[in-house]
Amino acid sequence: MRRPLQVTLLVLSGLGLLHVSLFTDLCLRYVKPSMRPMLIASGFLLILLGIAEAWSRRSPAGTDGDHIEASEGHVGHNHSKVPRVAWLLFLPALSLLFYAPPALGAYTASRAAPKAVPQQDSFDPLPATSPLPMTLTDFTTRVQQDRKGTIKGRTVQMTGFVTPDRGSTSWDLTRIMISCCAADAQSIKVRVYGIPALAANTWVTITGTWHAGGTLGTSSAPAALDGVTVEKVAKPVNAYQDALPFPTSR
Amino acid sequence: MQTTVEPPGAAEAEDVAAAGWPRSWPLLLLGAAVLPGLVLFSVGRWLDSPAVQAWRTVCLAITTQALPFLLLGTALSGAINAFVPARVFTRILPKRAAFAVPVAGVAGVVLPGCECASVPVANSLIGRGVTPAAAFAFLLSAPAINPVVLTATAIAFPASPVMVLARLLASLATAVVMGWLWLWLGREEWLTPVARHTGHQPGHSRFTEFRTGFQHDFLHAGGFLVVGAMAAATFNVAVPRSVLDTFAGSPWLSVLFLAALAIILAVCSEADAFVASSLTGFSPTARLAFMVVGPMVDLKLIALQTGTFGRAFAARFSAATTVVAVLSSALIGAVLL
Repeated sequence: MRRPLQVTLLVLSGLGLLHVSLFTDLCLRYVKPSMRPMLIASGFLLILLGIAEAWSRRSPAGTDGDHIEASEGHVGHNHSKVPRVAWLLFLPALSLLFYAPPALGAYTASRAAPKAVPQQDSFDPLPATSPLPMTLTDFTTRVQQDRKGTIKGRTVQMTGFVTPDRGSTSWDLTRIMISCCAADAQSIKVRVYGIPALAANTWVTITGTWHAGGTLGTSSAPAALDGVTVEKVAKPVNAYQDALPFPTSR
Repeated sequence: MQTTVEPPGAAEAEDVAAAGWPRSWPLLLLGAAVLPGLVLFSVGRWLDSPAVQAWRTVCLAITTQALPFLLLGTALSGAINAFVPARVFTRILPKRAAFAVPVAGVAGVVLPGCECASVPVANSLIGRGVTPAAAFAFLLSAPAINPVVLTATAIAFPASPVMVLARLLASLATAVVMGWLWLWLGREEWLTPVARHTGHQPGHSRFTEFRTGFQHDFLHAGGFLVVGAMAAATFNVAVPRSVLDTFAGSPWLSVLFLAALAIILAVCSEADAFVASSLTGFSPTARLAFMVVGPMVDLKLIALQTGTFGRAFAARFSAATTVVAVLSSALIGAVLL
């Protein structure tokens, strides 16, 4: 790989990282928010490397550029000759800059086994508000582990995206969570009955009551909802977390 | 009238065609005009199908996640090469290689980061005169036993803190055994020469040496990182997680299966504890194997090692490491979990 190309590659990669982390929120489609400072630092570092490389090339004889050229012969190492595999780095760099793929959604969720909810021993009484905003994890835990059955008859409100189930009228309200990057995505789903499915990946806030089945408070109870209302909402900026619904305008 | 008679012009045209142009040049021309458009269109459609989009997302996610750590590792490797004199290592490490291996394995605690950072560092250590066996013990232990990873493990397994200890011991044991195995069976010629890391040359600017080494290592390893990310993303998308449960029943198969899963998923070592804790159907020993194998062998790492040390090394080393890691996690798991 020629040295001007190396400069281009370094600067493009740096710009790509800065584009997704500093100028936009795109990096949240791929990694946790906590990675952001590191991505920004890496972006600046790569651009600096590119500038330094370009600078050393055009600086007058006797300094960096010629120095390396001269040393290459007898030491037998050649830093300007980077193997062809480095070309592949153009793919993520350009993809980050111009063609960022979307966050994981219904396709991934429909093929994954649902994430196990954590074990919880004691449950506080539910607040009296109605509809009660909940996360999908909370709802599942209440249904499958709260032996007092406090969830019964309550109207709850949850936000997630639509994962349709082919050949069934019910569908899954879904959230995808990541612990490091999108490669370790895990999904949590609540089955929704009584409301026709919208297009896959549509973000919705849904209200409804628990869909009775099995014994409430044990794992035989389905994490499912009889839907009452459904409302389209904007996709959250950080989609990879199980969060409460946005407060609605009503 | 015979049908085979050709008009006079056709013969000429054929001659011309034989000389330079294929006979069907109008068709070719038309094809040349239409095909790229069609290809672009269908590739565009294909790139936006859900499966390919998921693949691109996972591939980009692995690359993005790993890039800062790779930069850290290659910067460290460049710095070791340019600023640290070789005598430092000979002073720190015991003279006997057999003793140097465990010391280097324990020294892995100091490199906080995931596995991508440790490959270039190990390479520059070898270039600076550290015995390869010790460098490999460091390479294997660093991503598995550093404080960040152990803390993540403790958070992921709140109910069983002994898992942290088991992971520490099994990873360390694997690293040290692999180091000794290299002393016993390893051959220098499997390694591609590390002429690049010649250290500081008198009369050269240390900073320039640092910068060029850093840049070269980064571009080199970065390319291989992309290869590894692509392979891992392919398996990640192509293998639905629901097949996992079919293997959960048998204790032995489940250990082997999760070890294989760790290799093909290529989850970063800081996150694999969370993935392991979510594999609830599996025995603790199988999950331990997942966490011990993952930081030492996976598709991304194999690609990185191939690029850094050569194919002959990467194939043998990864295979041997997998076997040792599975055995040591089975042993430690049987005792502790």
